[in-house]
Amino acid sequence: MTAVRSLRFIRRPVSAFALALIIAGCNRGNTGGGARVVCVSKQINEDLYAIGAENVLVARDLTSVYPEQIIKLQSVGYHRALNAEGIISMKPTLFLNDGNLGPDAVVEQVKKVGIPTLTLNPGNTMDSAQALIEALGNLFHREHQADSVVAAWKAGMDSVFADTAKWGQGHRPRVLIIHFGQIRNNYLALKRGGPADQMLHWAGADNAIDSAGGMSQLTPELIARAAPDIIIATEVGFDRYGSVEKFKTMPGIALTPAGQSNRIYRITEQKIMYFGPRTPAVVRELAGLVHQ
Amino acid sequence: MLKRLSNRSFHALLAVGLALAMVASASIGDFVFPLREMARFIGQAFHLIPLTTADTLDRNVFLQLRLPRVLLGTVTGAVLGVSGTLMQGLFRNPIVEPGLVGTSAGAALGAALVFVLGGKATLAFTAPLGSAAVPVFAFAGGFAATVLVYRVSRSFGKVNVFTLLLAGIAVNAVSSAGTGFLSYIARDPQARNITFWNLGTFTTADWRGAVIVTVTFAICYLLSVRYGKALNALMLGEDEATYTGLDPARFIWPLLVVNTLMVAMATAMVGVIAFIGLVVPHVLRLLKSSDYTFLIPGSALLGAMLMEIIDVVARLVIAPAELPIGIITAVVGAPVFLGILIRQQRRGGGAFYG
Amino acid sequence: MVELHDVSFTAGATPILHHVDAQFAPGRFNVILGPNGAGKSTLLKVATGTLKPSTGTVRYDNADAASWPPDVLARRRAVLSQHMELPFPLAVEDVVLMGRYPHYARTPARRDRDIVNQALELVGMADRRQQIYSTLSGGERQKTHLARVLAQIWAGDDASGPRYLFLDEPTASLDIHYQIHLLDVARGLLADGCTVVAVLHDLNIALRYGDTFVVLSGGTVACATDRRDAVSRELLEGVFRVRAHQIVDPIAGRTLWEFSL
Repeated sequence: MTAVRSLRFIRRPVSAFALALIIAGCNRGNTGGGARVVCVSKQINEDLYAIGAENVLVARDLTSVYPEQIIKLQSVGYHRALNAEGIISMKPTLFLNDGNLGPDAVVEQVKKVGIPTLTLNPGNTMDSAQALIEALGNLFHREHQADSVVAAWKAGMDSVFADTAKWGQGHRPRVLIIHFGQIRNNYLALKRGGPADQMLHWAGADNAIDSAGGMSQLTPELIARAAPDIIIATEVGFDRYGSVEKFKTMPGIALTPAGQSNRIYRITEQKIMYFGPRTPAVVRELAGLVHQ
Repeated sequence: MLKRLSNRSFHALLAVGLALAMVASASIGDFVFPLREMARFIGQAFHLIPLTTADTLDRNVFLQLRLPRVLLGTVTGAVLGVSGTLMQGLFRNPIVEPGLVGTSAGAALGAALVFVLGGKATLAFTAPLGSAAVPVFAFAGGFAATVLVYRVSRSFGKVNVFTLLLAGIAVNAVSSAGTGFLSYIARDPQARNITFWNLGTFTTADWRGAVIVTVTFAICYLLSVRYGKALNALMLGEDEATYTGLDPARFIWPLLVVNTLMVAMATAMVGVIAFIGLVVPHVLRLLKSSDYTFLIPGSALLGAMLMEIIDVVARLVIAPAELPIGIITAVVGAPVFLGILIRQQRRGGGAFYG
Repeated sequence: MVELHDVSFTAGATPILHHVDAQFAPGRFNVILGPNGAGKSTLLKVATGTLKPSTGTVRYDNADAASWPPDVLARRRAVLSQHMELPFPLAVEDVVLMGRYPHYARTPARRDRDIVNQALELVGMADRRQQIYSTLSGGERQKTHLARVLAQIWAGDDASGPRYLFLDEPTASLDIHYQIHLLDVARGLLADGCTVVAVLHDLNIALRYGDTFVVLSGGTVACATDRRDAVSRELLEGVFRVRAHQIVDPIAGRTLWEFSL
């Protein structure tokens, strides 16, 4: 006799309580054999689909939305606001994450009830991101597919690097990349050094922010000092405004060269916030945008 | 009709309500545990029943995650309820509670200081305190906030309620600014925790934390429950209390310390949860009596019961995600707060209940 | 007997009382009179022990007031203050029960509840005992507090001994009915040898009810007497800065004062 696994569909606590007491032995049974992975990293999730290992997944985090098929999976919440029971109620055989999750204690709690957890840090370089795919391939016995994905990726990057020199000659526009933080609902500017910044560099443009390391709060002074020629905004933040015209109403944007020439572009965060097999295509897309 | 019950009977009724709420809280969530299963797991935990391997996961979730959470929530509710009662007695005003007065925010700031700066050389003096650093700083922060507000709001021996609220707003604002700044400069893991904090959550409950708060509460409760009569006498004013043979200075400061200690400990574990301390004594006064010998035990029971009910709602409303507790208490408590304030205005201060 | 000997009191930098000598005897209604700012309330507070005099001594029946253990003192001495606020709802009988607090540790005994009832009877509030304090009128509230302080020093308790009742302008803001009623009740305690000291502002009422008069002016005693006629026109005109003349009530034969500027 096992507990009723979850009652997400029951909204009223009273009936839930009654139901819980009345149902003594509702047996969902174990899903027949095989891995059940809960992964709260959008990067790792994308990689799993890339190597064809996606059928091990049973749940994702809120922000994992690529590729489209993943949206059918149950979400266990925003990766910075998780709770252990929600994850455990999926009865995973493995809890997979990339180290970027909160609150901290959740990992310990999941471990405490005996569920294996694995943290795979993708690092900040393309090499480490490719190593991540290899590791996933080993983990889920898709080594062959992992190898071929990485090989294609490398070939794609070689071709991109060949064009980088061409893109980088001539005018290198200053680009400001604006992301959106869902835990505090604020806009963030990407600084130098991260994957997005590197992709920008390969595409023949420079980050309008001069300093390195992570992201900083977006302020009108920051925008004014950056004076970007081009603004690229990730989708959640862009969609809150809905259009280029409306986006320009954000304080400070309209006065920038980018605002005045309407060079504000939308891009999905899963393309630029980390390295993945799509990176060669993304760099080309960026190059297309910035050198129009 | 409830007014006619004796204090004992009323407390017994509350205790029954609390027991039901605790059972519901232990049972309901992403995992639902029927009564029989809970009993079995507890029996297995005490080695009274042999272990069954098929439900190891459920048992672990129940014993390692759910039960400590129920305990932590119950005791936190009791802490906040009793704290509201004590503070209303000490400040002689119904609009007082640890959240509004800034005690919780001060405690949160103290704890945040340790979380963010504790490891670094800047705050090396936390090192000798070891794992006691968080409670000590939480206590210091909570106490400083309470004393400041208490001092500022007293004039001519009486507490001016509007000065009190304004001072409380100021202290809350400073604490928020402080924790905001700390989360801004914090390295990633600590920053994530601080955001939770300002809204309160039982998500990360574990046995160690739950037991610490329970023991602290037990001690503080036993120390404060015998002051019911003294707080009654204090209702007439400090001079009047002196005429009944009490020395207010002798018990006002010790009670403030004990109160701050338990609030700080709970806040350090759980974050800032406001309005429970306001609502619980208010409801008890309306239902039965303002006698502190009734209120102190009553607010422990009702606070615990209320907190458990709220925790269940927090778990269900946007499952599988959880709503921070502080949001629900604010939704429930803010209207009550406004109601009290408006009625107090209408009656021109002093007695305001109908 | 309450004796003040050479009492001075300074609040901060302001001197309020200067070398005051006063004796308040038991069985007599002792009245403190004086204009605003003369220091009447301060004198009373020093007499009750709330304020410590800067110099001088306060003695209750030959023992220094400060040497009395607080719990013993609480059972013997009661004070009816001027302003009473109650921030939370309590029933009348609960307020009166607070007067018995010095007499029980945890739970009130049968006797305590009996005394509460008797005190309520005495002040005429027995039928209102369940009523919530905040719904009472000013006069009724004052009577409730009177019942409370009476309950506090109710006669016949642990070994009879001296009792002290202090009243600080108890009739301020009461209508004439309540004023007379309250003072009648207070006078009723005199028969048991209680020492009653009251600060009264209404001169005629004070002269009618009082037995001993301490007239305070500018922090010093202008006159201390137990003879009504010692409270003379010159004294009143000097202390209160008014013109005074006496009339005699033709029916009861009592002396009344009329004032003008």
